[in-house]
Amino acid sequence: MVAEPALEIDSLDVRYGVVPAVRGATLTVGRGEIVGLVGPTGAGKSTTMLAVMGVVAPAGGTIRFEGSSIVGRPTERIVRMGLGLVPEGRHVFEALTVEENLRLGLIGRPDQSGVERDMEWIHGLFPVVYEFRRRQAGLLSGGQRQQLAIARALLARPRMLLLDEPSLGLAPIVVDTVFAALGEIRRSGVTILLVEQRAQITVGFADRTYVMSNGILKMELTATDADATDRLVDAYFGS
Amino acid sequence: MTRLRVPQTLLASIALLAIVALLGSGASASTQQDYISALVSATIVYGLYMFVGSSGVISFGHISFAAIGAFSAGVLTIPVGPKHLTMPGLWPFLAQHSVSSLESLVIAAVLGGVSALVIGFPLMRLSGIAAGIATFAVLQITYNVLNQWTLIGPGPTTLALVPTTTGIWVSLLGAIFSAIVAFAYQSSRRGRLLRAAREDAAAAQAIGVHVVRERLLAFGLSGAICGLGGALLVHQLGSITTDQVYLELTFLTLAMLVIGGSGSLWGATVGALAISLLDSFLNTAENSVHVVFFELTLPNGSSDVILGIIMTLVILFRPQGLTGGSEFSLAGLARVGRLIAASPAKLRHRPARSEGPPAPRTDM
Amino acid sequence: MNAGQVIFDGLALGALYALVAIGLALVFGVLRLINFAQGELITAGAYSLYLTDNLPALASIVICFAVCIGLSVLIERVAFRPLRGASPATTLVATFAVAFALEAIWLMAFSSNGKPADPLASLNQIAIGGSLALRWVTIVEMAAGVVLLGGVALVLARTSVGLQMRAAATDFRMARLLGVRTNLVISLAFVIAGVMAAVVAVLFTVQQPSVTPTFGFDITLVALVGAVVGGVDRLWTATAGAFAIGFASSMLADLLPSSQLQFQTAWVFLLVLVLLLLRPAGLFSTLSRSTVERV
Ligand SMILES: Nc1ncnc2c1ncn2[C@@H]1O[C@H](COP(=O)(O)OP(=O)(O)OP(=O)(O)O)[C@@H](O)[C@H]1O
Ligand SMILES: [Mg+2]
Repeated sequence: MVAEPALEIDSLDVRYGVVPAVRGATLTVGRGEIVGLVGPTGAGKSTTMLAVMGVVAPAGGTIRFEGSSIVGRPTERIVRMGLGLVPEGRHVFEALTVEENLRLGLIGRPDQSGVERDMEWIHGLFPVVYEFRRRQAGLLSGGQRQQLAIARALLARPRMLLLDEPSLGLAPIVVDTVFAALGEIRRSGVTILLVEQRAQITVGFADRTYVMSNGILKMELTATDADATDRLVDAYFGS
Repeated sequence: MTRLRVPQTLLASIALLAIVALLGSGASASTQQDYISALVSATIVYGLYMFVGSSGVISFGHISFAAIGAFSAGVLTIPVGPKHLTMPGLWPFLAQHSVSSLESLVIAAVLGGVSALVIGFPLMRLSGIAAGIATFAVLQITYNVLNQWTLIGPGPTTLALVPTTTGIWVSLLGAIFSAIVAFAYQSSRRGRLLRAAREDAAAAQAIGVHVVRERLLAFGLSGAICGLGGALLVHQLGSITTDQVYLELTFLTLAMLVIGGSGSLWGATVGALAISLLDSFLNTAENSVHVVFFELTLPNGSSDVILGIIMTLVILFRPQGLTGGSEFSLAGLARVGRLIAASPAKLRHRPARSEGPPAPRTDM
Repeated sequence: MNAGQVIFDGLALGALYALVAIGLALVFGVLRLINFAQGELITAGAYSLYLTDNLPALASIVICFAVCIGLSVLIERVAFRPLRGASPATTLVATFAVAFALEAIWLMAFSSNGKPADPLASLNQIAIGGSLALRWVTIVEMAAGVVLLGGVALVLARTSVGLQMRAAATDFRMARLLGVRTNLVISLAFVIAGVMAAVVAVLFTVQQPSVTPTFGFDITLVALVGAVVGGVDRLWTATAGAFAIGFASSMLADLLPSSQLQFQTAWVFLLVLVLLLLRPAGLFSTLSRSTVERV
């Protein structure tokens, strides 16, 4: 079904101590696709992403990016292979300026050419980031921080971007900006795995969406299922 | 959270202490001192454990209370006659009174506890590094005062002629008593509250736990046990200087606790006895010792090098401590046994862990 | 002693502690680790000066730098790196254990008798004579303190690796997620700590040309206390705190009535206690973190 996979996760198990957080998750994201991952709180969505990035070590299973296994590789290597994560909770460096935050985005970039062009593109996507570039990042609002976090991740020129609840706690208008930017980013050729709690928006927005609950992947939905609320409710609360 | 197995962990600790005492009772007089040292160390480590293990706050100040206990017990038990000669500057009240060893143990514990309460009252608000350095300041002040103030003790000279009444059985009784106090405290409501607060201070505060007050109680109790330990120590050695209850002892007792596993009474027991006996063994080995088939002689001064390296290695390979920080339990023992018997693959799985330094919310 | 002399002595001691604190603060910044073994680097450097006493001063000093930097990086690699993510009590005791082992090695190799080392003894000469004697070493210590602190601050503020270090110091995990090579950044912190230790070893032997096994440990302990009182999580506050404790203890030695002189340590640490209780986050830490560099 997916011609050329970017990310393949197979039977992933992750535990915190003895508590299982992800149990046997198997999912694939094709190159250029935008895939959603939804599920109730505590489902294991963030943990899955952290495992991909090598922040937590899986207890079992395999993770491949563009064909090569990335389990056990250090995070900074995985970043240099072309994977980027915008983690939950907009971790911008508050004591640094917006510009310095962006400069940190360049660290994981495979080569330093074309920075100017990317910078311009990003300023087009997120005008506020440009406007406040000299400000302390700690003085930005939640929505502005989220945009900065995504902009920063893009500067590493990832071929695949993982986003963990980018719309969490944002005003509706900012959510629109962020989703519009995601569409734009996807059009530029970046593969996207998007974790969200807002299932309905996500299912409508993504090419395909996985539903996760209690550490287990329950089902896979496509955009046409966006209105099939009962199937979603089933996936969330069914056993 | 550590589950408290009612008496199992206490009984196991007492059994281990008793084994050490039995081994010591059959040994030659000089070797016996090594076993007594181990039991006295255990007492001091129990004191340290009661505070550090329950509150999660590190303290460099506990040896202050051991020092207070040691010097008060020592000064008070030296007969009045020689006391005038060795400590001419002593405060007349101290110079003219002398008590029995047993009384001196009680006094030392009370003084240790009271001074911990007084010092702890302002200090217990602190946590993390600030607490570490503040308790370190307490150690420095105690050391400086004891080392210089001839009104209350021998000052920079050796406190000598203390009755040597800490034999193997007395040290065993002292250690058992301390283990029981530590266990009673950790199983009590107050002790469990403080442990809960260690896991999540904000949540504990939200349900009405007065964290500072709970810490103070633990600090006071642990000061009393450390005071008792200091008194036992001085009655073991017969003479003492302030340097013997200062930095090195602070470091060693902390290392014993962490190496054993700072979250459990069983860890405190194992760590104290293991490191203390190892230390003694290595010291003896500098003057050659029989090890099963051969004679072992370590170069002079190498025993501390080896001890330091072994301690570093244990921490590197068992960062949770020898006991993993859990209490002793027969069920746990059986589980470990089964695991070892089962395929080694089971032991190999690595649980998820995040790389990098611990989250900032953790206390030192 | 006159007032000017007291101030000069205070400045010299303060500058020395400040140099020690730079290394402590950098390592603390990236690893949240109080490195008690840092003092052993100074001792190692000082013993290397003693062992190379017959060489020209410059060669001896170069070797001292190599020893301090090498040992600093080695300790990080062997003892601290495997413990990343372990509980703070564990890592703290690990740094203690390393210091304990090294100190035992010094004792075994060099005994507790002082060993002579003073490659720069000429700095003991008086630069400005008269009623108050200002020795060269005081001037050099002050200058080294200012230059090295400024240099490190510049590296942190202006270079990419400095930016990465600041990022790793505030949010280690996020820094890694951006591709920051944290091992490199941490090694750099230990290299700088080694450089500072070497500088201290060279300068401190001028004042105290007899090296003992606790040569570095003692001053590191005081510098550490000062750094925490000032605020150990930032370079400026940590160095300022360490400087202040050196200056204050030097002043106190002069201000205390002679009957209290023997209790100088107790008074200094009483002051430490009071300051910690009043400002647990650090004497010089401001509420708004925006203006101060976080390290
Ligand atoms: N650092 C951790 N230590 C222990 N348990 C954790 C840790 N992080 C997550 N967990 C547990 O793992 C499970 C999965 O958590 P995860 O953060 O992956 O969920 P999530 O699907 O991202 O939830 P949310 O939508 O609320 O972000 C939860 O039960 C959570 O309590
Ligand atoms: Mg999540």
